[in-house]
Amino acid sequence: MISDFCKKEDFPIFKRKFNGKSMVYLDSTATTQKPKQVLDAIVNYYEGSNANVHRSVYKLADEATELYENSRSNVAEFIGARSNEIVFTRNTTESLNLLSFTIGESLRKGDRILITSMEHHSNILPWMRLEERGIYLDYVGFDKEGHLDIEDLKSKLKRETKIVSVTHQSNVLGTINPIEEIGKTAKENGSTFIIDAAQSVPHMPFKMKEQYDFVAFSGHKMLGPMGIGVLYGKYHLLEEMPPFNRGGEMIKDVDFHSAIFEDPPIKFEAGTPNVEGAVGLAAAVDYLKKIGMEEVRRHEKRLTSMTLKKLEDLKNVKYYGPRNAEERGGVIAFNVKDSSNLKNDLESKNMKVDRLYHSHDIATFLDERNVYVRSGHHCAEPLMRSLHLPGTARASFYVYNGEEDVEAFVSSLGEL
Amino acid sequence: MYNDEVMDRYQNPAKNGKMEDFEIKIDEASSTCGDRVVLYIKTDGNGRISDMKWQGEGCILSVVSTDMFCENAIGKEINSLKGQDDLAFVENFPIKISPGRINCVMLPLRAFRRGTKEK
Repeated sequence: MISDFCKKEDFPIFKRKFNGKSMVYLDSTATTQKPKQVLDAIVNYYEGSNANVHRSVYKLADEATELYENSRSNVAEFIGARSNEIVFTRNTTESLNLLSFTIGESLRKGDRILITSMEHHSNILPWMRLEERGIYLDYVGFDKEGHLDIEDLKSKLKRETKIVSVTHQSNVLGTINPIEEIGKTAKENGSTFIIDAAQSVPHMPFKMKEQYDFVAFSGHKMLGPMGIGVLYGKYHLLEEMPPFNRGGEMIKDVDFHSAIFEDPPIKFEAGTPNVEGAVGLAAAVDYLKKIGMEEVRRHEKRLTSMTLKKLEDLKNVKYYGPRNAEERGGVIAFNVKDSSNLKNDLESKNMKVDRLYHSHDIATFLDERNVYVRSGHHCAEPLMRSLHLPGTARASFYVYNGEEDVEAFVSSLGEL
Repeated sequence: MYNDEVMDRYQNPAKNGKMEDFEIKIDEASSTCGDRVVLYIKTDGNGRISDMKWQGEGCILSVVSTDMFCENAIGKEINSLKGQDDLAFVENFPIKISPGRINCVMLPLRAFRRGTKEK
């Protein structure tokens, strides 16, 4: 196992058997499994401290508010931020939509937004909606191995580029992008710099830097429950922004035709918040802190380089993204060549491409062996188009995976 | 993978290929899985299918389901094909289909319904 602080037994779901066999869960990029510590924190909250937060003055409500706000501080400390810079949202998608509907709204016709071709849809669609208003969306390309083309980024960074929003780690290629450098470049240009950290904060040490204006990530991808996400924002920027949703909780005073909004972060948390989610996320943060994020990264890097090496020995398997595990996270997108003798008329098209198994067929084949991988376009269709692929299968690792999972995965794949 | 019946048909589809003298051509693409299938239909003029072929690419399940659909359609009425029950259609497939793969098997029936709406 990864360390004394993380055992597979901590995760009740792994007790489950499918056809009498344990599962090999390799889809943590989609969502992670939850340790007992997180599940207990949620149950304990409801059994012992449930009340609405920031409202009533009795003891139980104070306790609930304290738990909620302590969760915020815990998350803040985890990434090196201050608590009043942490807005709880539903997920990364909502965090990025919040930005689109606030700072995005302040853009004018002719302004530009720069993203990359390796973004998840959640960092594309919130910006694409602004194109209707005459705002341009530019995409930075990447090289054959999936490294972001920094020269392309610099050339596309224009005076009109008001927002630069980049994924820290690709959820398909696994590429870890040099966000410190990109952030500096963006700030030199006077652009607002946003990081989609959904695949990085859960998997590696993440420390806030001066050049980061906003950082978005999800709780469920880091052992926490679904339905809780985070938006970090520099306090003075959050202060200047208009609210996103409006209603209960986010106001200081409401008159018949006017309202005074709360200070950040509450200004962005309209309605009863997901207290259970925040408490669960804080428990997940505690769990990860015990292991240590350096150790999480080291563990995933080891499993990744082990897997890449084994995949290179399988002649019919092609994987995407950097060859060097130093440059990538524990997510491996791959395809398998179908060398069977097909009499399908594809050949008549004279295409000199390898015929690949459809990723769903690979995933079903592995499913029959209790190995769970994702298949399809991974919510990154522009990336798939850049690779000229309809889809890939994808295996991804987290703290609870071990060498035995790599062995099971590669040997099952070898049977295809 | 799957079973012999499915794999045999995948490797030797009966109705794969272009049709020149078609009456109806249906272009179906599923962006969620990258499948892309074209159905060619010829009728006897009385709403009955006299021949059907397909071209394109997809996963094994969608390709096999499409090939079976084309073969089984011959001699049948367009309306009765369109009206068949989804559940029965999936159950008639040679292997048991998991919920996540139902869309793959349903591809030809959905395309057929959409493309013959006005007929």
